[in-house]
Amino acid sequence: MKIKAKTVVPGIAKGEAIVSRTAISFTGGMDPETGIIRELGHELEGQSVEGKILVFPTGKGSTTGSWQFYAAFKRGHAPQGIINVKAEGVVAISAIITETPMVHELEEDPFEYIKNGDFVTINADEGFVDIQKKEPS
Amino acid sequence: MELNERQKRMLDGKEGRGARKAMEILVAYGKCYLAERLIPVTSVHIAGNFPVLMDEGIEWLEDLAAEGTRVTVFTTKNPEMYDFEETDELSIPMAYQVRQNRIHNALKSLGVTLTYSCHHYLVGNVPRFGDHIAWASSGSQVFANSVIGARSNRDGDHVALAAAITGAIPGWGLHLDENRKGELVIDVGRLDLENYGPADYKALGWHLGKIVGTRIPVFVNLPRDMAIEEIKGLLYTLTVTGATGLVHLVGITPEAMTAEAAFGGDPPPFPEITPSQEEVNHAYLDISSSAEEKVDMVIFGCPQCSIQEVAEIADLLGDRKVHPETRLWICTSAWVKTLCKRMGLLADLRAGGVRVVADVGAADGPHLYLREQGVRVLAMNSARGSYYAHNLFAMDTWFGSTKECVDSAVSGRWEGRK
Repeated sequence: MKIKAKTVVPGIAKGEAIVSRTAISFTGGMDPETGIIRELGHELEGQSVEGKILVFPTGKGSTTGSWQFYAAFKRGHAPQGIINVKAEGVVAISAIITETPMVHELEEDPFEYIKNGDFVTINADEGFVDIQKKEPS
Repeated sequence: MELNERQKRMLDGKEGRGARKAMEILVAYGKCYLAERLIPVTSVHIAGNFPVLMDEGIEWLEDLAAEGTRVTVFTTKNPEMYDFEETDELSIPMAYQVRQNRIHNALKSLGVTLTYSCHHYLVGNVPRFGDHIAWASSGSQVFANSVIGARSNRDGDHVALAAAITGAIPGWGLHLDENRKGELVIDVGRLDLENYGPADYKALGWHLGKIVGTRIPVFVNLPRDMAIEEIKGLLYTLTVTGATGLVHLVGITPEAMTAEAAFGGDPPPFPEITPSQEEVNHAYLDISSSAEEKVDMVIFGCPQCSIQEVAEIADLLGDRKVHPETRLWICTSAWVKTLCKRMGLLADLRAGGVRVVADVGAADGPHLYLREQGVRVLAMNSARGSYYAHNLFAMDTWFGSTKECVDSAVSGRWEGRK
């Protein structure tokens, strides 16, 4: 299904969704050497965001997050695309400097429609997200 | 977004490659938030040091500084990795010194004022009420908005540097009157605030940050004589577990002399929150990440200690000495260290086994080499420092009051809440 969204950074990204209902801090929250979420007790703790479509409500924590995201990107461990409920400044600038396609303010609640493992396309050029459900195993 | 002639010239690359890069960042950022124009800024502060920049970040900075790009607005810099006067004494590995020098040289070439401090507002980077500014460093950003009444969004370093170079920032978010209104009441009237100290306010901030998120809270029933260290404790912790950029402290925040003023005459769009002492107690335990009672190091200074805080630590220590197997560091700015020297505090503290370290903060910079020197378990009076020391450097941390931390330095074991 398709959901309309507002563009933060243009471009198209396709990949497997990884979904967090809690905010993410790139400084301290994500290891730039592996792309693994390392915040203690975070719902994605121990899971990698590398190459995925990362879905989360918004950013939090240190404003230095854009440096850590940039380092993760240069080392090949960043997500391919970002979907936020509301783009917080540190996450937005992280996507801008790495040209990572990013959308926010979807017309439907992304957590209702996007589950871990779904194949998601972000089309930030035209402003929509397309979701293909994971086959039930 | 509307650009003036000079801004268009920058975007076209006629003012150099660095200015073009800076303007491209601001245009993309402004578009994302539907900013109509760029607003002139009077003050900039940038945050990142080597542990967060990593080698890729240094290269980014050097690339920006190439071809003589300069900041056009007064710009200060957050703490770095080590005390420049004590590289040998602190056994700073050469690999880190090389990286630090590269950052130092790139920032110097850009024209950044090399304060290496997160209390830059104590030494000259003081915006006025209503000024538009670009302050990275989430703690000082929320301080500027909430205590001074200057206007800054939660700008990452890349945006803040772009603002410093171009002299302007996209006008969105907290730069605009309509976005500075409170969104929910936090009534702290159920808490016994008369007996609260800075650590309690930090635990309160830790708990509330998770609930507040990116919204603008309006605190009611705070004591009007709240100490500045308590205000900082609350604000600096709210931005660790949350991402709020402005906090209305009724009776303290210039725009919030009353709750009505904080809401701009509108009803609060979100329901009221009334935290309980039980929730604050739980936060205390949540902040600490250690199970090991032996403390390798007590580290103060996230944010960097003011001269008053250094004096308080010296008083609490008294004639006692730091345990031989434990270190005690006070992280601060170069000018507070100078004051300590002048007032004899430095010598007194040294005699007790305490080291006053300039140009660093307790959250991140030094932990890179401290870990290599065998430090694992930290005791801190900063919830913010505890979060970053644990999550960025895998340190085990204890969180408590300044007194509990000083006592732990003397006994070598954690003396606070477990």
